[in-house]
Parts: sequence; C-alpha cells; structure tokens
Amino acid sequence: MTTGARILVVDDEQIMRDGCTRILSTGDLEVATADSGEAGLKAITKGDAFDVVLLDLMMPGISGMEVLEAIHKVDVNILVIVITGYATVESAVEAMKKGAYDFIPKPFTPDQLRIIVNRALEKRALQREMELLKLEREKSLRDIATEKSRIGTIINCMGDGVLVCDRDSCVVLTNPAAGRMLGIQESSLIGNPLPECSIDGTLTETIMESLRSADSAFPTVSKELCPSGSPSTFLRAHTAPVKNDLGETLGAVTVLQDITGLKELDKMKSDFVAMVSHELRSPVASVQQQLSVILEGLSGELTERQLRMLRRAKERARGLLDLINDLLDLSKIEAGMAVQYKEPLGMEELLGKIHEAMLPEAEAKRLRLKLRVDPPLKLVQGDRSNLEGVFTNLVNNAIKYTPEGGEITIHVKGEGENVRVDVSDTGIGISKEDLARIFDRFYRVKSEKTRQIVGTGLGLSIAKHIVEAHLGTISVESEEGGGSIFSVVLPAVPSSSQ
Amino acid sequence: MPKILIVDDDPDLVEAVTMILESKSYDVIAAYGGNEGLEKAKTEGPDLIVLDVMMPDKDGYVVCKELKADPKYREIPILLLTAVVSKISTTRYTQQMGLETEADDYIDKPVEPAELVRRIEILLGKA
Repeated sequence: MTTGARILVVDDEQIMRDGCTRILSTGDLEVATADSGEAGLKAITKGDAFDVVLLDLMMPGISGMEVLEAIHKVDVNILVIVITGYATVESAVEAMKKGAYDFIPKPFTPDQLRIIVNRALEKRALQREMELLKLEREKSLRDIATEKSRIGTIINCMGDGVLVCDRDSCVVLTNPAAGRMLGIQESSLIGNPLPECSIDGTLTETIMESLRSADSAFPTVSKELCPSGSPSTFLRAHTAPVKNDLGETLGAVTVLQDITGLKELDKMKSDFVAMVSHELRSPVASVQQQLSVILEGLSGELTERQLRMLRRAKERARGLLDLINDLLDLSKIEAGMAVQYKEPLGMEELLGKIHEAMLPEAEAKRLRLKLRVDPPLKLVQGDRSNLEGVFTNLVNNAIKYTPEGGEITIHVKGEGENVRVDVSDTGIGISKEDLARIFDRFYRVKSEKTRQIVGTGLGLSIAKHIVEAHLGTISVESEEGGGSIFSVVLPAVPSSSQ
Repeated sequence: MPKILIVDDDPDLVEAVTMILESKSYDVIAAYGGNEGLEKAKTEGPDLIVLDVMMPDKDGYVVCKELKADPKYREIPILLLTAVVSKISTTRYTQQMGLETEADDYIDKPVEPAELVRRIEILLGKA
C-alpha cells in the first residue's frame, strides 16, 4: 500500500465508519471520518490533503452527489469512491459521470473494499509521479531556455568569431565578431550554405573538410587565413566537427581569432633578432678575430702581462658571442622555428660524434670522458643539430664544472619505449636551492668555484626547450660536492615504423 | 708563393685574416664586397679564395655559384667564411648552405689562426 496516503470516509452510519476505519487502518494508511456531507467537505476544504474519499451517496443533509461535485471543485485529483447503498446501477453510473473514480455496492466484504481502495491509491501514486515528472520537464525546459539564452549572450559578447554549420554546411549560428572579421553581415550568413556565402575560400574548404572527415584522430584543424576583403588582417581559424553519441558528424564549429597584432609582434621580433644578429654579432666576431691575430704575435711581440690581459679579453669576447648566439637560438626556438627537421636518429652514432669532438677539450683539462652504450637502442625521431646542441651543452657543462682529474660518463640505454641518456660527472655538484632553478633562463650558479667559468646561463634553458619539443624530458640529480647526473629521456620511434 | 684572395665586407676582418696569411708568406689580395671579389677572382688569378657569406652587395653563395659555373675558374678552391647566425642551426646551416654551394670547405668566423692555415694548406694540397 502506498505509504503515507490519507483516506476520508464520509458516511452517516457509525457502523460503516468504524468498519471502514478498521479494515483500512493498516500500514501507513491514515483514515479520517466524517458523519455527514457537510463535515466531509469541511475536512477537505480545511486543507487536509486526502488522496481518496469513500463517499456514501445516501445521507441526510446534502446528498453524496453534491458532495462529490464540491470535492472536485476543491481538488480535481482527489479520487472519490462512492458507496451505493441499494446497489442501484443508475446512481453508480451517475456518480461516475460526475467524476467518481469507482463505486462499491453495499454490502461489501473487507477484501472487496481493500482491493478497490488499493487500486485507487495506486492510481493516485501514478498521478503524483506524473505530476512530478511534468514539473521536472517544465523545469528542464526552462533550464534549457535559460542556458540557450546564456550561451547566445556569451557567443554574442565574445571577441572571437564563432561560426557553426550543420551537416549540410548551412550556417546555423554565428556572432557579430565573426561577421566583422570576415567582413560580411551576420544576417547574410545565417541559414545559407557556406559555399554560397562569400567568405574566404580556405575557410570554406577547411569547414567542408571537417564535415567530411569520418573519424580523424585530431579532429581540430587550425588554419591561418587572410580574408580577401582586408589584406592586412590575419585570422586563425580552429575548426572541429560536432559528433553525436554514435560518432556521426552533425556539423562543424569554427572559432576565429584575429591574430593581426600577434603577427605584427612576431615580425617585429624577427626584425629585431636579425638586427641583433648582424649589428651585434659581426663586430664582436671581428674583435675576437683581431684579438686572436694579436695573440698569435702577428702584430709584434707581447709582454707576458699584455698576453694575459688579451687572452682574458678574447675569452670575454667569446662569452659575449656565445650569449648572442644563445639568445638567437632561444628566440628561434620560442618562435617554434628550431625543431623542424626531424629524422630517425641512432643515438649511438650521434653521441659517438660528440664524444669524439669533446675528447680534446676534456683531455686538455685531464678529465676522463667515457661513452657507455647499452644496446639494443631504438631510433629517436629528432632534429640532429638540435640534439647535438643539447648533448654538446651537457658534456661541455660537465667539463666546465668538473675539477682536473675527474671523470665524465655519457651513458645511453633503452628504457621501454624511450631512449635514456645520462651525462654524469664527478664535478662540484649543485646545491638544493640552485637545483630548482637550474633550467631557468639566465640562471647561473654563483659561488667561489664558478666565478671563473664563462657561461651565458641560457644553455640548459635551450636544452630544455629542445628536449620538450621532442616530447622528451630532461632532469637533474645532484648534490653539492657530489657530482651531477643530467638525464635526457627521448621517445623512440615506434617499432612498427622502424 | 700561392696567391690568396680574401673577400669580406668587414675591413677589420680582412686585415686580421691578411696578417695571418702573410705571416705564412702567402701573397694576399683583398676585396671588400661580392662584386669586387668576383672581379678580382677573374683578373688576379688567385690560387685560393677565402669568401665571406654575408655581404651587402652580393653574398658569398652567389659569388661561389658564379665562379663554380665558369669552367675557367671552377678549379679555384673556395673556403667559405660562415658567420653562422646560431649555434644550434650550425650543422643544418652548413649542410644546407655551405655544401650545397659547391664550396670546397667552410669555416666559422671568428677563426683560430692555426686552424685557418691548416684548412688552407689542405685545400692547396700541401698538407
């Protein structure tokens, strides 16, 4: 039986009221009684919520039929079961016509009453549930409307252009920014097939392609375009298909960004870099060249003191040149221009070359430089000169920061789907505070031991950029006075494509 | 003594290289631009050319290409002086530029005197 349901028994006979109450008062059911139509109506209008009313038709005072009508004026959902005293079909039919839910003829057995009341209660429960669902539905519709209005406002306020097409490439949604960027009225876009809107051809092609693409691993396509209407404007379009839960394409969303400002900045940066490279680098190179000629004694004999000062001057000029070179490298890398020529590389061969090239420098400082290779090694997809730069830098650092008589090891080995290169040394090590910032730009460890070492503070920062552009990682383990290990892990070319 | 032509728009660099080469008793002539270099290569008949890459009037690649395309001057060895813009791209740069231009060798500026002399001796077949 439905929990917490309330039943009102309206009958002038005490015995009927008591009998019904006794039969129905089980479980959670709550039974109230009224000895006349007036009392019954009073109970109902008082605001007590009844689910089912058992109503005797033949009562002194106002008749059952009138009570029935009055009840439904209060609440049409209350289910009324009429009790027909003389089992007359006519009165039962009339009551049903007036909206009674059911009837039960007197005399009845307790079971008969229970069955009829239970059915009414079940119907009442269903009614309630439906009302609830209806309310929920109304609420979700309201929510959707609110959401729609909110999204509409967001899209209209956006600085980026938005262009949404359905699967037939008709424009279904756009915003003022898109119209402005494409130099076209918003209203002449909506509802029209894309190829018929006079917008940039590349953009149309990109969107059409996105709609056609069945399932691509990288659904978002980014393209740069220069709309024909305004030649000095540059846009970047990001297009992605919209799919349903079955993976079918329903349309495509395109977001347009005005990147004119960025382009200008980019050009200014390139110009600046070119300027720096020529105006700064050439004179320094020239100074260095002159110094090396003087140092060779080609312009006359030098005193020991002059030699010492000029050697130091040349060293400083070289440091300056390194700094300029590093700055140029960094700006190139940041512009995404550096790691462009990737090819499958054998690390054994690459590191072998570096080992060979760095050997004289290491030996000059009485350091042992070892190369250890643990085969088999997979190939790495990488930019040769960039990776050479990274490992040259690491070995160079190891040489710089390891006192005479020390040892440096380049160790390369396979590590699952990766290739790992450890460059370890027995050098001065790195303190905890310095360790955290060692890959930062221009960061240099300052101590009594490093004062004489020339460096730009950019080498490791560049190395990190390069390694990350190869989807690899670079890390360091070190202790002050206990040597350092720099580790580079690079993803190998998948075996299937080797 | 072999005659060497040095072509560079930077007079300081020309002077420095000249001093290195003269110390080894080479006969040195200088040109301060691509066009002048090309002309002197043809009129002076040098045994070797040290050629800068970045020059305002005509860059070293073009000079090199024109000389190598001419049967009369093809045999003159050319040593390119590459003031490489960036260390990282050195290898790629020299691969793409220096080697593609049929130059006989290339060396980065600034050069160590001993290294320059060594390279020149190799090119002149003396090493």
